[in-house]
Amino acid sequence: MQQQVISKEEIDAVFPKVAQIIADALGCDVEDVKPQVPLIEGLDAESIDFLDLVFRLERGFGVKIPRGKIIEDARGDLAEADFEQKGILTDAGLARLREVLSEVSPDRFKSPMKAADIPRLFTPETFCKTVIRAQRAAQAAA
Amino acid sequence: MVERFRAFSFVDRITRLEPGRRIEGQYTVPATATRFPASLMAEAVGQLAAWAAMSHVGYAYRPVAGLAGETRYHGTIAPGQTLELEADIERCDEEAIAYGGKASIDGRCVIELNHCVGPMLPMEEFDAPDAVHADFETLRGPGAPAGRFSGVAAPVIKLIEHVGGEKLRAELHVPAEAPFFGDHFPRRPVFPGTLLMDCLSTLALQLAREAPSLQGAELAPSKFTDVKIRSFTAPGQTLELQVDLQSATAEAAQLKLAARAEGKGVATARIEIARRQ
Repeated sequence: MQQQVISKEEIDAVFPKVAQIIADALGCDVEDVKPQVPLIEGLDAESIDFLDLVFRLERGFGVKIPRGKIIEDARGDLAEADFEQKGILTDAGLARLREVLSEVSPDRFKSPMKAADIPRLFTPETFCKTVIRAQRAAQAAA
Repeated sequence: MVERFRAFSFVDRITRLEPGRRIEGQYTVPATATRFPASLMAEAVGQLAAWAAMSHVGYAYRPVAGLAGETRYHGTIAPGQTLELEADIERCDEEAIAYGGKASIDGRCVIELNHCVGPMLPMEEFDAPDAVHADFETLRGPGAPAGRFSGVAAPVIKLIEHVGGEKLRAELHVPAEAPFFGDHFPRRPVFPGTLLMDCLSTLALQLAREAPSLQGAELAPSKFTDVKIRSFTAPGQTLELQVDLQSATAEAAQLKLAARAEGKGVATARIEIARRQ
């Protein structure tokens, strides 16, 4: 499945609200929430924070973000075995992840890469794109 | 284990269940209970929601304390009184349960919880799935035996820093043994997040009394927001608690709460301490 392009303008439109929600969830200053700061290494986010963040984004934007949505978006129409094997991303899986997380600096994608380490790549911009995809899905379903 | 389904169980009966959507139940605080902190009313609503979640996923997972967006206190409870419990499930799967709920006494709401999320973890780590299933059937059928809870001891909190009207820091020595560890949880004892919030609110109350605008007033916790439990606290662990007064008016004080273990965050929250209505 070819990922639909998300424009910079679309990201800029949702970023201020996403940044405020991230700041509220992490208890940090909104000024520290730069679009491409890694949430785990840069803002000390933990797994409970991601859970918090997804529910806050759902409430804040009135959208549904299903469990594992970001990784599901990355996998697209690849079968699970084509995306990862024994917890390690396949070449095809890594390529798809790079495409979906295009906002992430290329040097942050390790090879081999564990599927469990994917959240280490997430930035505020990742969640902007997740919100935009969820908004599009909601519009398509309406 | 003798304390299982007794020492920290706050649902006596499940009176109505719409799977995956809504659950209702009851809990009577035993007349003989020595101490029943207000935070245990929130525990009762959370446990009711947990029963809905555990039955929904076939007892393969159980929720643990994670996030409580907003908890509003409208009243208190005394031994012998019965809480009518209800919870609306917003979402429930193998990752988390999201819910809101409330508890009432004689039709009067005493506590309401909004935007709560409990991460789901494998049941096997905490308890025997078959035993939990059997307990659920007991709650759905005849109900649990009355008078199971005997009370919790007051926490041992030692002040280590006090900046008048601004900040309190203290050490909480979690007991190495307590009856509630046998129930919370049988295979993995964890200090309950609601008891941790009770300890933090005790400190917050002390600090709020120092706000010039509230001195001499009769105060009580009125609202917790953004409660986040980051990690488990084991028996015998020492936690550092910190309370910071952020603002105060003639009606209420707003404070930040934090608990750490060896420098690592265990829990954070905000609390409002208000004049008793």
